[in-house]
Amino acid sequence: MGGKEDPTANGSPKSESMAGKKASPPDLLSSISLKSLKLKTKQQELLLRVSILGLVYVLAFIARLFSVLRYESMIHEFDPYFNYRTTLFLTEKGFYEFWNWFDSESWYPLGRIIGGTLYPGLMVTAALIYWTLRFLRFFVHIREVCVLTAPFFASNTTLVAYFFGKEIWDTGAGLVAAALIAICPGYISRSVAGSYDNEAVAIFALLLTFYLFVKAVKTGSLSWALASAFGYFYMVSAWGGYVFIINLIPLYVLVLLITARYSLRLYVAYNCMYILGMLLAMQIRFVGFQHVQSGEHMGAMGVFLLMQVFYFLDWVKHQLNDTKLFQTFLRITVTSAILVGGIALGVGTASGYISPWTGRFYSLLDPTYAKDHIPIIASVSEHQPTAWSSFMFDYHILLFLFPAGLYFCFKRLSDATIFIVMYGLTSLYFAGVMVRLILVATPAVCLISAIAVSATVKNLTSLLRTKQKVPQTGSTKGAGSSKSSSKVTLDQSQPFQKNGAIALLVGVFYLLSRYAIHCTWVTSEAYSSPSIVLAARGAHGNRIIFDDYREAYYWLRQNTPTDAKVMSWWDYGYQITAMGNRTVIVDNNTWNNTHIATVGRAMSSYEDEAYDIMRSLDVNYVLVVFGGVTGYSSDDINKFLWMVRIGGGVYPVIKEPDYLVNGEFRVDKGASPKMLNCLMYKLCYYRFGELVTEYGKPTGYDRARGVEIGNKDIKLEHLEEAYTTSNWIVRIYRVKPPTNRL
Amino acid sequence: MAINKKLLPLLLLISSLSSIATSSFSDPDSDSDLVNELISLRSTSESGVIHLDDHGISKFLISSPTPRPYSILVFFDATQLHSKTELRLQELRREFALVSATFLANNNGSDLNKLFFCEIEFSKSQSSFQRFGVNALPHIRLVSGSTAKLSDESGQMDQSDFARLAESMAEFVEQHTKLTVGPIQRPPFLSKAQIGVIVALIVIATPFVIKRILKGETLLHDSRLWLSGAIFIYFFSVAGTMHNIIRKMPMFLQDRNDPNKLVFFYQGSGMQLGAEGFAVGFLYTVVGLLLAFVTNVLVRVRNLNVQRGVMLFALFVSFWAVKKVVYLDNWKTGYGIHPYWPSSWR
Repeated sequence: MGGKEDPTANGSPKSESMAGKKASPPDLLSSISLKSLKLKTKQQELLLRVSILGLVYVLAFIARLFSVLRYESMIHEFDPYFNYRTTLFLTEKGFYEFWNWFDSESWYPLGRIIGGTLYPGLMVTAALIYWTLRFLRFFVHIREVCVLTAPFFASNTTLVAYFFGKEIWDTGAGLVAAALIAICPGYISRSVAGSYDNEAVAIFALLLTFYLFVKAVKTGSLSWALASAFGYFYMVSAWGGYVFIINLIPLYVLVLLITARYSLRLYVAYNCMYILGMLLAMQIRFVGFQHVQSGEHMGAMGVFLLMQVFYFLDWVKHQLNDTKLFQTFLRITVTSAILVGGIALGVGTASGYISPWTGRFYSLLDPTYAKDHIPIIASVSEHQPTAWSSFMFDYHILLFLFPAGLYFCFKRLSDATIFIVMYGLTSLYFAGVMVRLILVATPAVCLISAIAVSATVKNLTSLLRTKQKVPQTGSTKGAGSSKSSSKVTLDQSQPFQKNGAIALLVGVFYLLSRYAIHCTWVTSEAYSSPSIVLAARGAHGNRIIFDDYREAYYWLRQNTPTDAKVMSWWDYGYQITAMGNRTVIVDNNTWNNTHIATVGRAMSSYEDEAYDIMRSLDVNYVLVVFGGVTGYSSDDINKFLWMVRIGGGVYPVIKEPDYLVNGEFRVDKGASPKMLNCLMYKLCYYRFGELVTEYGKPTGYDRARGVEIGNKDIKLEHLEEAYTTSNWIVRIYRVKPPTNRL
Repeated sequence: MAINKKLLPLLLLISSLSSIATSSFSDPDSDSDLVNELISLRSTSESGVIHLDDHGISKFLISSPTPRPYSILVFFDATQLHSKTELRLQELRREFALVSATFLANNNGSDLNKLFFCEIEFSKSQSSFQRFGVNALPHIRLVSGSTAKLSDESGQMDQSDFARLAESMAEFVEQHTKLTVGPIQRPPFLSKAQIGVIVALIVIATPFVIKRILKGETLLHDSRLWLSGAIFIYFFSVAGTMHNIIRKMPMFLQDRNDPNKLVFFYQGSGMQLGAEGFAVGFLYTVVGLLLAFVTNVLVRVRNLNVQRGVMLFALFVSFWAVKKVVYLDNWKTGYGIHPYWPSSWR
């Protein structure tokens, strides 16, 4: 609804202030008598603006509470459980313990140095909020703080969006941008209450850094540049996506240099931001010296050096009055600078001092790379390329407004609009490569669309107003506003313009109201699911809740020895350690591909081969996720091919074609013999052959894949069933100790 | 003599055995002749693909007795169908040659002469097409050493086996012949000489470009160029082009039930066809640009009627496009998006 309200405010400020100036002096008497009640136009506008911002702030928060209303106040999905566990550790043990934490409960037997391999920004933020609340005598549980961190930062993001919009266009655009981003599904998808993930804080930090940097370039002031360096530091501490900033800003600077927009302001802003930002970023242990060594950061350094060359040339030009001399000098310096830079880069790469690009980064530039070379990246569903419907789902009408916004930006080019255009285009491109990066593009899309809405509505309303006050047009002309030239031409075609403007306005408001409806629906129905508690619609339209995951994890917590090791596919690692409090072999921090491949190999081998692997890893329990009874489609059988691929990537004994029949993945009678007898198949379908899942179907009918299974008589030799949850979603097996040799 | 008496039956036995052997088993000499001939034929072509006709087929596949020491992978080509781009005959033929060249490069010794890559062309060898029972293209068939009847379709390469071009063809060959083809070696997009020339050109051009940049009179300073580039990137992204590239999606599909009907829109979110994305991306762009046009350019037009007409047209088009996209999205994702009203209103 926020989108609906503010455009009226956009139109008002300028024209109203003009009207106010004209109107107030004549009736002095009334103005004195009403002085105590009536505000000045400026004040009115301020009040309006602040109250709209306040409403948007609240709106951004409450729109994200759907998940709490529909389910309960809980942490969502996979990664947030790790974040929650570390936050808990931080608040209980303190910062130093947290910083030096070696976690032996995951990646058994390797363990993981948590303090050195995470971005601590999110946890520290949540802990600070928690401690502040405690200090103020609000005794909340740390979980509630974690659940509400994302909505809180989303609200803060709307404020930043307002200031950013104000900076690149005007206050109206700022307000619209704040309203748009408050409910944009692209952002909500990652920041509903409970999705306690790095992105929740990072988008705020990202936009803040960009805003501060644009401000620094505009003013050339050291304090803004310093602030943006700190914003960057916060971003680095919060999310690996900081690489986007450290590449976009140099690119922006480069474009400014190429388009002859070099200025001393730019010099101050970039140098300060880069040097301080770099020093600060290196304090994060996970980043450390990567910031000066890895290939992803080299662009920033190159641009930094280029800036010095530009400054130097400027200085020489100032000293030399002879242009010809300067030309030769220029040629020599530029060529030698490029040469030196190239040689340095070559030597650095060859000697191994500069590390090459990481796979994730490389797959952004050459999108087909990951698919062929890194299955562990390609397997994650949020790394899939984006189809148009996903864009539509996450942006809705913003997509229509975006080209118009681009056009407006180009009509009024400034350093700030160039920045937002570049930010919008690069991030949109990346969003096309990976679904999850829609999130990064959202602020830019909202801002550019806001410019389109605001500029359109402003033009149209001012048109309507000038029509009403025809006698005043003469004086407006004198005011010499930037739009005055178009207004003058408009005056000659009054009757049409008014109707046209009204029609267009109605159209824009209609679109915005559709946007609000779309966003509310999407938030409520699609993006509020915690995915750890599953919901389905029953035959009569009633909601059915499957709480099997937590059931299983609490079973592990209560019924297994405290030093038990649980093997599962890596997706469930974080949840098992956080909720089940048991040691896992692999988890969602996919730092060791070989270890994951070992688990993949065990899952795709025959039982006796798998038993040897499990014995070597000291596994006591195996946990599989199975959707055959409920029709839950993201279960281990559907993920199985990835296990085979990842396992086969390290152990060539595992071959994908062995599990396929004519290139097709099947679990019914026509499945390949290897498939029907591998560990994963056995564990998922153990005793399933006796079960009738659907009326009128034979026993052992798999509802997730819609087939009758091929191997109904499964006997386990080295494992035994330990626990199966009420809807069979999670099945836990105990690994038997080796039999005594006689 | 005693020895002679004993030897005679032995000799008789040996001679009779050898005569049986020549009649029932293939003659190793003639086999090696065929192989040598195939090798010499192969050496004449650059990629190692042998061009066969009816005569060659009968010689190497029909008249030669069945446990042949070689397998033959046959590519069925038809020049008259090259114009039909949806069959992708020429592309597949190039990929076929690539597999052949890779096989040659990665194998030496005995394995090299166990598999030969051949092609036959329809207009020159119609009877062979009949013998193989091939009546639809594209068709690739592996005739292994033990295949007796040519119409035996067990060695046929499925549609899925050349979906990923040379890579999947190689996998097919490796699965069926137990020979290794090895990683496909595609010729680099630019040869080394070309790269050298390009680098030299860039190096030479750099000072001139920098000079012009400093003077501020390049194309780069034309904001219209930047604008069209920006719109293009936008279009490129939202049309899901990256999705098409990464997933190698076709522009459209043929309806399974009715081959004459083309399917342009794929139902189900997370997937899309090429043409579908471009159509929707185009609708997005049109509406956005019309909005910019109406508010920025149209107001400058002096003629009232033109203004009115264009305005109405723009409104109509935008309305239609938005409606269409929303409808398509709802159809594709299967979501029914509706507002929430207070329960007291119902």
